[in-house]
Amino acid sequence: MFEPLQNPMVNYILVVGALIISVVILIALHSSPPYVRRWVIAGVTFLVGLYVPLEFYIPRHNFLTVWRDPLSDLVRVLAGFTIGLGIVNLVIVHGRHILQRTANFPFSLAFFVGFISMAFVGFLHHYKPDLWAQKPSEGELAFWSAAYKVFFEGLLLPLTSTVFSLLAFFIVSAAYRAFRIRTLEAGLLMAAAIIVMLANVPVGTWLTSWLPQEGWLKWLRLENAALWLTTQINAPAMRGILFGAAVGGLGAALRILLSLERSFSFGGQG
Amino acid sequence: MEHADWGTIYPYLVWILVAIIGLGIALASAGKKLHIRRLPAIDAIEEAVGRATEMGRPMMFVPGLAGVDVPTFQAIAIAGHVARLAARYRSRIIMPVTDTVILTMAEQVLREAYAEGGAPDAFNPEDIRFLSGDQFAFASGVVGLMNRERVAANFFFGSFAAESLILAETGQALGAIQIAGTPSTLQIPFFIAACDFTVIGEEYYAVTAYLTREPILLGSVWGQDVCRILLASLIFATTMAQKFLPPVVLKFLGL
Repeated sequence: MFEPLQNPMVNYILVVGALIISVVILIALHSSPPYVRRWVIAGVTFLVGLYVPLEFYIPRHNFLTVWRDPLSDLVRVLAGFTIGLGIVNLVIVHGRHILQRTANFPFSLAFFVGFISMAFVGFLHHYKPDLWAQKPSEGELAFWSAAYKVFFEGLLLPLTSTVFSLLAFFIVSAAYRAFRIRTLEAGLLMAAAIIVMLANVPVGTWLTSWLPQEGWLKWLRLENAALWLTTQINAPAMRGILFGAAVGGLGAALRILLSLERSFSFGGQG
Repeated sequence: MEHADWGTIYPYLVWILVAIIGLGIALASAGKKLHIRRLPAIDAIEEAVGRATEMGRPMMFVPGLAGVDVPTFQAIAIAGHVARLAARYRSRIIMPVTDTVILTMAEQVLREAYAEGGAPDAFNPEDIRFLSGDQFAFASGVVGLMNRERVAANFFFGSFAAESLILAETGQALGAIQIAGTPSTLQIPFFIAACDFTVIGEEYYAVTAYLTREPILLGSVWGQDVCRILLASLIFATTMAQKFLPPVVLKFLGL
């Protein structure tokens, strides 16, 4: 819908103008009484919320479709501004720990060291080739690229993988509690778990390999019993939950669109 | 993005469901008395807040991993209710978030909830913390917070992924009372195994109606239940038709 502007001066003027208008709207919104704020937010929520389904349900390319990309860009810009707020939040919380030398001060120091190092290295790795008129040397570029790899692939990825791997131990401890046979349901759960687990290891399938592959006795073979449990018991139950949740989601979306969900309609009581 | 294909039944079905939910809201607004069954997990929220207050330790509310979507909005609405209860006892809620848009929303909702609960000064904006946008960096941050702050109650509401069990098991090890609710079907078994109370599936979207007992919200829950009965009947009828009706009739019906 909108073509990029070729004249940089007009571009800058429009950017500054957009920023000024945004600030004025924000100030007006903050200084208005709570009931006005509530109505403005409810109105904007309704209009934007109505736009998406209408654009989708009116067949083919319609008069609303031209606004799709500009609206997506607007959402991205708004989300971009909030990233700054996230960084401010982190800096305030951890800065206070360092200034007041609290017990958690070393963790906050680790945060600042990690945050500044990663941002600095990432920035130079990405922008160094075009940052200045004079092109940097090959060696310099290779250094920042290697530094970025050390921080990202050598530190961040192994650390996140380590946290993910903890899941294996947590599954064992959760399974231990869940499978303690105290009730009929827990007993059934335990029996189903044993069948599915055994069917997934060679020794399990070997245990019932002597049973015939045809006739009704084939259902006693562990691999068949496990398949029956997962496709005929587990999958329908999960789909049933998903089915209920999907309709619930539709209802919740409608409540949000109509601003009926007052628990998070901002603007204070009024 | 594609547009709806009006040559199929699906767009009509969605609008019929929307109309039924709308009818439920209209009936409730007109004064029809509606009942919602007990949800023990939600009844336990007050108990969890009370226990954390007695122990003099904070609570933690995790609104999931997702950004701006319906489950997260629902989670923030529930957080508002928990915060109103916490304000009554002047208790502290720590709310780590993984999305910066949710950070601003959560701060506003909790600030207003503490004010409505009569303790605006008990709200500390620093307790709403953006940790990281990365799934496992966020999980390790939450686990660290839980351990350092020795939380007495955990609330996990929203969309979760593999980190759900890491969070819930850490809380379990700390002895915290834990209440969870998620529409993420794959994470429900993990929460059931590790938490004291869990709301599942459609119950998740009925929580705010249950908490506030507002007739309009109860009306939307009633409408959703009618939709589920209608859809389940449709599935049953078409399955039976496929099984028992002759092919000529099925072709005529378009099945």
